[in-house]
Amino acid sequence: MELDLIFKIAGVGILVSVFHIALKQAGKEDMAHLCTLAGFTIVLLWVVQLLGRLFNTVQDVFKLF
Amino acid sequence: MEIIQIIGLGFVVTLLILIIKQQRPEIAVQLSLALATIIFLMVLSKINVVLNLFRDMAAKANISSMYLNTILKIIGIAYVTEFGAQVCRDAGEGAVAGKIEFAGKVLVMVMAIPIIALVLDTIVRLIP
Repeated sequence: MELDLIFKIAGVGILVSVFHIALKQAGKEDMAHLCTLAGFTIVLLWVVQLLGRLFNTVQDVFKLF
Repeated sequence: MEIIQIIGLGFVVTLLILIIKQQRPEIAVQLSLALATIIFLMVLSKINVVLNLFRDMAAKANISSMYLNTILKIIGIAYVTEFGAQVCRDAGEGAVAGKIEFAGKVLVMVMAIPIIALVLDTIVRLIP
């Protein structure tokens, strides 16, 4: 089980929202958006790897293709 | 008791999503996607055992493996389609979910075509 992945994603989400608020308060709107985009990309990378494993397993189990 | 683990995991992730959703809705969607994938992976190993039993029984009963494989493929397509459509619907994109389900239905029909043709062939042969 990769339960740590879920907590990593949640941690990244909370951290990114805190950074976003802090950078916005400091008047750096563009950096805040860049920070959001970076967090989103990191999480997307993890989720896509997990999804690839899921689809490979489904193909193995149900003998698709 | 794996079901207790899964229920606890679901509660924890629900609370985390509630915290994150107000600030970052896109990461909340990815969180629920990761949870769905992990639960699916956990359940899939159990399904594998049952399917192997079915394959053994079919081999003992001398049923052609074509029929069982077709049914298993259809079940697999249905599971994956449902999974994808639910994730899209959770994110509020009902239209995308509808398209995924449509594609799944068409692919299931395509998979069933050899069996349908065989049934029609048999019926035509029975009619004098």
